[in-house]
Amino acid sequence: MSLIRFHGLLLLALLLSGCTLEQSYNQYQIPTRQNQPGQQGAVAELQRNAREALSRSDYQQAVEYLQRAIKIEPRNPRSWHYLAETYWRSGDNRRCIEMVERSFSYSSSADDLDHANQQLREICQQG
Amino acid sequence: MAGKSRRSKTASRPSSKKQRKKPASTRPPRNWRKIAGYLLLAMVVGLSVYLGYLNHLINARFEGDTWALPSRVYARALELYPGLALTREQLEYELGLSSYLRVESQPLAGQYRRLGESVELHARAFDFTGERQSARLLQVFFDRGRVSALTDSRGGGDLKLFRLPPVIIGSYYPDNGEDRLLLSEDEIPQALVDALIAVEDRKFYQHHGLSPKSILRALLANLEAGRTVQGGSTLTQQLAKNMFLTPEKSLLRKINEAFMALLLELRFSKHAIVTAYINEVFLLQQNRIAIHGFARASRMLFRRSVEHLEPQHLALLIGMVKGPSRYNPFKSPEQATQRRNLVLKIMLEQGLLEAQPYAAASSAPLGIVDRLPGVNPFPAYLDLVKRQLRTGYSSDELARRGLRVFTAFDPLLQRNLELGLANGLRRFEQPELQAAVVITDYLSGDVLALVSDRETDFPGFNRALMAQRPIGSLIKPLLLYSLLQGDLTLASLVRDQPIRIRQSDGKVWEPRNYDRQLHGEMSLYQAFIQSYNLPFVTLGVDGGLEALAQNLARIGLLKHDVVYPSMLLGTTEMSAYEVAQMFQVIANNGYFTPLTTIRSVSDQQHRSLERIPLESHKLFDQARMIQVQRAMIGVAESGTASYLGQRFAGRKIAGKTGTTDSARDSWFAGFSQRLLSVVWLGRDDNQPINLSGASGALRVWSDIMQQQGFESFRLSRDGSLKWRNVNPLNGGIVQQSCANGVLLPFPQGRLPSRKSACP
Repeated sequence: MSLIRFHGLLLLALLLSGCTLEQSYNQYQIPTRQNQPGQQGAVAELQRNAREALSRSDYQQAVEYLQRAIKIEPRNPRSWHYLAETYWRSGDNRRCIEMVERSFSYSSSADDLDHANQQLREICQQG
Repeated sequence: MAGKSRRSKTASRPSSKKQRKKPASTRPPRNWRKIAGYLLLAMVVGLSVYLGYLNHLINARFEGDTWALPSRVYARALELYPGLALTREQLEYELGLSSYLRVESQPLAGQYRRLGESVELHARAFDFTGERQSARLLQVFFDRGRVSALTDSRGGGDLKLFRLPPVIIGSYYPDNGEDRLLLSEDEIPQALVDALIAVEDRKFYQHHGLSPKSILRALLANLEAGRTVQGGSTLTQQLAKNMFLTPEKSLLRKINEAFMALLLELRFSKHAIVTAYINEVFLLQQNRIAIHGFARASRMLFRRSVEHLEPQHLALLIGMVKGPSRYNPFKSPEQATQRRNLVLKIMLEQGLLEAQPYAAASSAPLGIVDRLPGVNPFPAYLDLVKRQLRTGYSSDELARRGLRVFTAFDPLLQRNLELGLANGLRRFEQPELQAAVVITDYLSGDVLALVSDRETDFPGFNRALMAQRPIGSLIKPLLLYSLLQGDLTLASLVRDQPIRIRQSDGKVWEPRNYDRQLHGEMSLYQAFIQSYNLPFVTLGVDGGLEALAQNLARIGLLKHDVVYPSMLLGTTEMSAYEVAQMFQVIANNGYFTPLTTIRSVSDQQHRSLERIPLESHKLFDQARMIQVQRAMIGVAESGTASYLGQRFAGRKIAGKTGTTDSARDSWFAGFSQRLLSVVWLGRDDNQPINLSGASGALRVWSDIMQQQGFESFRLSRDGSLKWRNVNPLNGGIVQQSCANGVLLPFPQGRLPSRKSACP
């Protein structure tokens, strides 16, 4: 909950300071889950690799990692969210919206991801 | 040149009468000289053209695609990680498909060993699209049917994840049926080159393509014997013959061979020639496929890469060069052993082998696999891959360009499918009964396993894709969705009563229930789980039919422009594959993900040609689809598929049975948390099989899932739905404590208000 509050305040502050939605999303960092055993550990590893690839703007590689993560744990909303973000950053807004919808369908409303999903959906719809 | 032409001009002009009277015998007539000159010129031109032609042939092969390489189709790469449901036996099966060799000592690349309950394996290096993975020695630990840990054997650290290089599940071969794996110059072990030269052409490094001494020696030996007992060909001549010429024994062929050998030596280094030889030479016949080159033959015979061949293996392969049929180690093990030992002796004499290893190698068994792996053991899946590939690649490209096609095929699941199907079909004792099964991951759209014939490795008619059959009650889940788009809920009261419909051609259609009984009034849920026809026809003609047609069209499965009422009972024909696509959308909460086998394609240099991204289109409303899924769980709990409830007690499955007129087709489509499987049973001649969906396909489906194991299906949470305990017989609300009530989802604002006694 504190994470949501923090991001909410961050978003508000950014909006008040005249930031665009896209700029505010760029400030918004969703922490990757770390140090988890088993399946989630494997998925977290792939998500981390994907984030690294994304930071290098290597979109194809990021998609590759995320699709592997989704094969292992298909109902992980984070993987779908990252995939949506990767498509957005590579300029594919249609796919971004499709993937963000899937992320929504697997996340609960209490999930801190929900907010990021809403933002990303708006950005991709505007684009 | 000017002088020559002047002389020639002078010679051709008559100079005097006296000269003309000279007898012809003292000087050749000028015409003859002229003819001889022309002949000489023609011969020079002819030879030049001939050599140019040979050179062109060499260029075309060496500088273009030297060999037509079959395209390889790969299964999914098995991701190993702690927690993965996998037994040691399953891992060993997967390794066996990849030609890994089980050893007792520390494994080399492509080998594994058992260490207690764990497996230590040396995974080969592999070029995944966009990422090269090095060879790695790792240990996999198991506990109660799962991978419990994964460690790096060298570094000793825990691994979170390791991607096992994928199994090759088939190849698309060139028309000549040749199969080979290519080795580059630096991949060929020197021991292979040395031994090959020692046996086939000891003077290889001294000659320029031809060895006159060897030819003479062979000629004398052959004359003495009165038949061909010795060949005088150099390695380069053999290469020329194998690559460019026919095997006929004629003088012209020998001349061509000699010139080509000279040209090859002129154009290419010795190393390049020996590399080409090692890749080209024919070594083994496997049904209609000819295995060329040491790399492929080594993988097939010994499950080893060439760098891991021991002297006895090298010697066997080199020995087979002389006569692939005569020294075939499967057909003639004794002759093959003798030949191998002769090669080993030459290696010893030539100083390539010490006495002790020679003795060990000579007494070693042949060490070949028990039998060669089958060619394309998964024909139905491979056929589907080819159909999906053809949109981007021609058959010729597939057969020649050595493409690498990465698919979603799961060999472990396919094995369970085949075993389960065999068990399932055995119970019916109908030899004419045919089957098609499609198993998909409905969340990603991946087609994981496929069977299109009761003989699963028979490469015939692909029933799973091509056999269009009426789907019967398999239409009802989408029809139920269409009805829920109106005012109805699962608790709505419907009537199971006779109905007569006059069709556009004037005929009257009078549908009946499968049991030919009437059941009166009941909830829509009850009508669905019991698959009663009459309520659905009644509701369908009141508006559901149009909605159904629209929904079918959304998935791309509306096959006719004209909509008939009989569509409400599934007279629409579909293949099992199309049915799987329809249920993919239902299982995936209304998200349409096109079914696909292919994930990516790369060329032989591992450059990515194509990646097929995950698609996900929201076609239907999630909350409404969850209501359909709930009703499908009811089918398995207490409806027409209640057999599942008994067989897999405690585990939830969503499914639907389907039977067509006179029991000609038996269908079952069902899904668990991850897998969607569609089973069709029927006969090719469309005769009745006397099996309903419940008594036929459902049983086979259960046998497959029993073999595979599965996770219970869980409905997604959806905030817009409210759950109520309902009497399934009349749709009335019952108390929460009523054990015979069923919990059903309702959209807010459409909650049932009628109350009912506990049934």
